[in-house]
Amino acid sequence: MMSANVAISRFRRGLTLGAILNGLLLGGVFFCTLLGGAFNSASGDLLLLMILGVIWATLGYHSMKNSRLAANSPSLIAAGQFDVAEYQIEKSLKNFSIFRTSKLLSLHHLAVLRHAQRRWADAAELCAALLRQRLGSLTGLARQSRLILADSLLEMGDLNGSYQAISGLYEHRLTLAEALSLLNVQLDYQWRVNAWDQMLAGVKNKVEMAELMNTANGARSQALLALAAQRSGRGDLAAWLRRRVELLVDVNELTAARPVLKELWASSPSASPVAADDASGRGVAFDSD
Amino acid sequence: MDSPQSTNFLDVHELIEQSQPRPRVGWFGYAAGVFLLVVLSSALVQARVPAAKGIVDLFSKVAMIGIMVALALITQLMVRRQREEMKQVEALEELVQLRRWQEAAMLARGLLSTPTRTPQARVQTLIFLSSILARYHRFEDAIAIHNHLLESINFDDSTAHSIRLGRAMAMLREDHLVDADRAISELRRTSQGRESAGLALVELYRDVKTGHPTEAIDRFNAALPLFQKQLGHRTGDAFALLAKAYDMRGKEAHAAAAYEKATHLTALSELNRRFPEVVSLAAKYPAAVLPGELQSGAAA
Repeated sequence: MMSANVAISRFRRGLTLGAILNGLLLGGVFFCTLLGGAFNSASGDLLLLMILGVIWATLGYHSMKNSRLAANSPSLIAAGQFDVAEYQIEKSLKNFSIFRTSKLLSLHHLAVLRHAQRRWADAAELCAALLRQRLGSLTGLARQSRLILADSLLEMGDLNGSYQAISGLYEHRLTLAEALSLLNVQLDYQWRVNAWDQMLAGVKNKVEMAELMNTANGARSQALLALAAQRSGRGDLAAWLRRRVELLVDVNELTAARPVLKELWASSPSASPVAADDASGRGVAFDSD
Repeated sequence: MDSPQSTNFLDVHELIEQSQPRPRVGWFGYAAGVFLLVVLSSALVQARVPAAKGIVDLFSKVAMIGIMVALALITQLMVRRQREEMKQVEALEELVQLRRWQEAAMLARGLLSTPTRTPQARVQTLIFLSSILARYHRFEDAIAIHNHLLESINFDDSTAHSIRLGRAMAMLREDHLVDADRAISELRRTSQGRESAGLALVELYRDVKTGHPTEAIDRFNAALPLFQKQLGHRTGDAFALLAKAYDMRGKEAHAAAAYEKATHLTALSELNRRFPEVVSLAAKYPAAVLPGELQSGAAA
């Protein structure tokens, strides 16, 4: 498995090599066409131009293949095929590319992979390295990297770093998927700083957004909202959200990942995690007779 | 203006035809041809008029740079237009997710009324259009899109699976029970043992629709963890069908419990829209009550 440091140094070397080669090719074209050329004959200049063109086209073709290889990895990561994704991303980072975006995307995909593997330190390091780059038109990449960085830092307990990463996102217009990820990270941050009132601000919209998330994130977000409601004395809302969570996930698994949520089930003995498990129908089969 | 329910508004067959991408213009070929022309004509002029060598040299170099710049500009323009189109497709996806159907229908029509720039954009838009049509209960049109996509494009397994699921569900809604059964068998065959909550939901609906409540209840019990994991809040759909199955069996206490769970996860209006069979349950069993903070159209 490629470490974050190795990946970052490979990435930087790739970018430098690509920039040098692009510069040399452009310089060659400039030399042949404007400065009188390497030869005294027009055909000599033309030949050199054609050679440069062929070199650029060949490198471009290989770089394009490399980009396609890297473009596959998000779906592999989503499908949980981490080994195949790892192999493709490593290959893509190792291969030479004259396209800067291809290298940036490969590094981003590696950060996504490390985040999915719950290797928070590596994911944070890769995202930080990516955000230090000039991303130009790849602003979407910057937003996603900030979200991964914020989440990874939260998992590592770095609240200040996570806050910095989240606050940078308010300057951007987010897509729906990014807004959902931000809400998930934001709620996870806010309970750690006891910002219960802020958590419940616009709760209706937050609940509607949680419904659009995948099961695990949606349940966690609603459980955190339930915790905020309970801490703020809004018992009805807390109970309603808690019941939803029970219908969606195994409460024991949820509270194992976020022990603070045990409080939701500890307050009423009838709704302990085990009872909640039954209530969801997971442990008790419905009667078909 | 026609509403999305009207076949005049979204004429599926017309949109399928109109959205076919135009064949790509081979700009690189044209550029190579012009390049060759410049080389040959400059060589010819130099051979015939040696005195004009300097001017011809300068002209050919300017022409070559011009070709390169023009190629770069054309490529940039094409990439920009493709990105704009993809942004529109992404916006369409968000509108569908947010259930802003009217706007989604308008955008889909706009995208498909002219040739798309890439086949991928066309396919994605058609997939979203089929969801919009199903929302407006135009299931025959949705099936036509599903069939067109499955017959004309070689999809990866998971995309083909989700299109087939949409088609099977539309067939059930349209009471094409024999076709739906065939579609479900095809889904089972092509899913190759992969666990699919979507398939389990379609089968559950088929059981309810064809009057097999016992099978539906058994199927629900077997698939509940899968529903929870893969469908999230759409697990409410499965609970609603379970409630209907219990109701058919006359087990009212169980039906009431399942109905409460269904309405706790999914808005009543959505459940009734998706499954007309459960509409009658609203009069018999109480739905979950939303807390005050979430009322006025919440949990849409």
